[in-house]
Amino acid sequence: MNERSLFDLCQNLLELAKKAGADQAEAAAAWQRSSETHLENGSVHTVQSGEETMYGLRVLVGSSQGFVTANDMEPSLMAERAAEAVAQARVNPSDPFFGLPDAETVTPVDGIYDAEVEAIGSTEVTALAADLLARIRELDARVRVDSGSVSALVGTRALASTMGVSVSETASGVDASAFGMAVDGDDVGSFDYDSAESRRWRGFDVAVGEACRRFVDKCRAGLGAGKGESFRGPIVLSPDAVIEFLLPTLIGALGADTVRKGRSPLATKLSQPVAASILSVWEDGRTPGGASSSAFDREGMPVRRRALLSSGVLQSFLYNHYEARAAAGGARSTGNAGGGVSSLPMVGAHRLEVDAGDVAMADLVASGERAIWVGRYSGSTNAVTGDFSGVVKNGWLIRGGERQPVREVLIAGNVFEMLMRVSAISRERQEIGGSALVPAIRAEDVSITAG
Amino acid sequence: MSDSLELLREIAAKEGGFVELRYHAKTSRSVGVDKGKVERSQVRHRKGVGVRVFDGGGWGFASTGSIDADSIRRAVTAARAGATASASRARQGIASLPACTLARGVFDQPGLADLAARTLEEKIDLAIRLEARVRGASSAIRSASCSYNEIFEEKAIVTTDGAAATFRLVRPELRVSAVAEKDGQLSTGNEAVGATGGWDCLFHSATGEALAEHAAKVAQDLLSARHADGGRATVILAPSIVGLLVHEAIGHTVEADFVQAGSVAAGKLGQRVASDLVTLCDSGVSEHYRGAGGTIPVDDEGVIAGRTTIIQDGMLVSYLHNRESAARYGVAPTGNARAWEYSDQPLIRMRNTYLAPGNRSIDEIIADTSDGYLLDGPRNGQADATGEFMFGVQEAWRIQDGRKTELLRGVTLSGIAFEVLESVDAVSSDFRWDLGAGYCGKGQPAKVDAGGPYVRCRALLGGEQ
Repeated sequence: MNERSLFDLCQNLLELAKKAGADQAEAAAAWQRSSETHLENGSVHTVQSGEETMYGLRVLVGSSQGFVTANDMEPSLMAERAAEAVAQARVNPSDPFFGLPDAETVTPVDGIYDAEVEAIGSTEVTALAADLLARIRELDARVRVDSGSVSALVGTRALASTMGVSVSETASGVDASAFGMAVDGDDVGSFDYDSAESRRWRGFDVAVGEACRRFVDKCRAGLGAGKGESFRGPIVLSPDAVIEFLLPTLIGALGADTVRKGRSPLATKLSQPVAASILSVWEDGRTPGGASSSAFDREGMPVRRRALLSSGVLQSFLYNHYEARAAAGGARSTGNAGGGVSSLPMVGAHRLEVDAGDVAMADLVASGERAIWVGRYSGSTNAVTGDFSGVVKNGWLIRGGERQPVREVLIAGNVFEMLMRVSAISRERQEIGGSALVPAIRAEDVSITAG
Repeated sequence: MSDSLELLREIAAKEGGFVELRYHAKTSRSVGVDKGKVERSQVRHRKGVGVRVFDGGGWGFASTGSIDADSIRRAVTAARAGATASASRARQGIASLPACTLARGVFDQPGLADLAARTLEEKIDLAIRLEARVRGASSAIRSASCSYNEIFEEKAIVTTDGAAATFRLVRPELRVSAVAEKDGQLSTGNEAVGATGGWDCLFHSATGEALAEHAAKVAQDLLSARHADGGRATVILAPSIVGLLVHEAIGHTVEADFVQAGSVAAGKLGQRVASDLVTLCDSGVSEHYRGAGGTIPVDDEGVIAGRTTIIQDGMLVSYLHNRESAARYGVAPTGNARAWEYSDQPLIRMRNTYLAPGNRSIDEIIADTSDGYLLDGPRNGQADATGEFMFGVQEAWRIQDGRKTELLRGVTLSGIAFEVLESVDAVSSDFRWDLGAGYCGKGQPAKVDAGGPYVRCRALLGGEQ
């Protein structure tokens, strides 16, 4: 389905909504065709293909809102869905902040569509999947791929509203992932994961090779793990742990919805230091060719590059249209309406970048120091308070320059306090999941408990 | 439903080899109330047919959102091509699927009429009322929310080797949360319930009002709680935490696909892995009382979803299987093949996982504990191939000299699952399903439930040093 067809679908939905009694409406539609090969237990297992169009229809009756999403394209059912959305709006309580944004200029992002991906079928995808398995076996036969996949997809999305918003975009994507662990006799390492993402098919095999090497290194790190030690001291979060742990809590606290609901400890901290001065965080959903790049958000508003933290100082919260209207002081949408066509617009961040530091990753712990390297973090973080407590996975106790793999080591503390105790950032950065570019980060004075 | 079944049967009748056709329609409704506002009220309809073909040792899967014969036949052709491509690359595939008793007939579950008869206004009113109840519980409550969701499902499953089953079911869920504040310090309290069935099942163990008040009380009480000291300790796990333990730390390691990849349960069949007080099961049926959130009458391969005993009196006696893994192990499939939506292929998943009750009372167990903790209310949980697990805990009560004393905050429970089960020395006679609002993730979500009695054991607590 091309962009014109999806626009026609959106326009049809807007007409049906108006006929059913909506005062305003917004229709979003997405089409996707994919070819995917699943891996299981070190072997190609299932070759899968699929194609689907979904749509979401948001309607306003006065200041009340209704929303319906479906994948049925029969004209009679679409009319029923529009009527259902309007009926919902008539039942739902009104809210003066519900509304739809006016149209804004949206500039396309370069490099997010590759015609070559459109021609990729199950034969090429399955061959790359088999190659991924062979590379991992070759690197270390002790590393088992429990599951994984290689996929290629093309997709188009379009959005139109009675306020004049009218945007569309076609993109391609290829993705490969492996999940598993190292097994050496009775020694079973921790699960780990790595992936490669791209908009382009050409050169993707190189990215897959790099992901295989990272995956094998991480799985091997879990072998031979012994007891750790209990102490208060420094930890180093690997790029994976930064993404699993540090950034989500920070970004969650920057959502204007979290602020409005009294659930953000950073609510009153705009333009104030909330982290160590060596930490700067950007949001950039427009990186050319970026695996998660897009020109517009869930409401059709333009996506921009923005500073979130500059030298530790909080620069901005994240707004969609509703939150901008609900906020005191006349805020504007920052293009952070998240979610797909199947859900109401939420608040969400785009691709994140943490500025690189000036220390080599290998030198984040000095030779005379004792510290814990956190390969991955498996734990619980209270998004409201920032309290965290969890297990270190594929981690090391570093002492006297030696690295000892450890298991049953827990770290505990508070994310917002830890942000202020960031003491070093690595020069090296890693692109993770196509949605973040992050270094390793060292923080001081964390509670470490060994079993 | 009978139309869908007939359509699938007609298509299957003309196909050779093994073909599995699954019609799956889902309607999900969701209402969210936050700080007195209905922020979200939405409905989602998604339906289609998923097709699997097994040929020459390879699997192919394709799906279509169009429910007509031509579209489904095109999906069969695509799945057949996928099976051929897969077979050319697969290692150690099985030659054929084993014969087994497959479901035929209608297997509708209770609660459909109850949920269908309740109006959207009633569901919105419930969420508004309970959110207000949380906010009104104390002046310390700064913010509250309540969400109500329900998922209606219809399935028809037809295979060329004999399955021809349909069923419908409904799963309601309710969540309430509270944020309390004092002198700039925040704390939270959360309660969640989920069921397969009507509102009688959803509110089997507590009313909505009781859940709202408890969430508010926990948030308020935790304001003055101190952090726990870290270290190894005697712990009494409430049914919610037992449920998380048996699901995350044991259940995943005995899923046959994980076992084949080398999980800690590999090679341990017939061996002692737990104290003889431990019997652990996974069931498609809601054992002990109605309404468990992971109930399914038939799995997505058309196998009746009965009860599987995984650990019997401390001995590991079974893994969880789909038809393919059952063939590899030479056992009968256990009805654990599940797909989240029509466009997902079935994977080995748990259903309702539980530790069987014992014969002591919880009061007796507490009175018999000189130094330990009572843990209740899971925040989240993960486990590893090694059996090492980590669960966040909402409420941790210190137990000293046989009495509950102080409430602590920020507690994490960790350990190696089989080692923790070997340390079990007391099991209560109570039983509660307590994870019905939960979703298990394994590439695709699944509605599951888990629970059990109160259990005393030794584990590692994360806290301050």
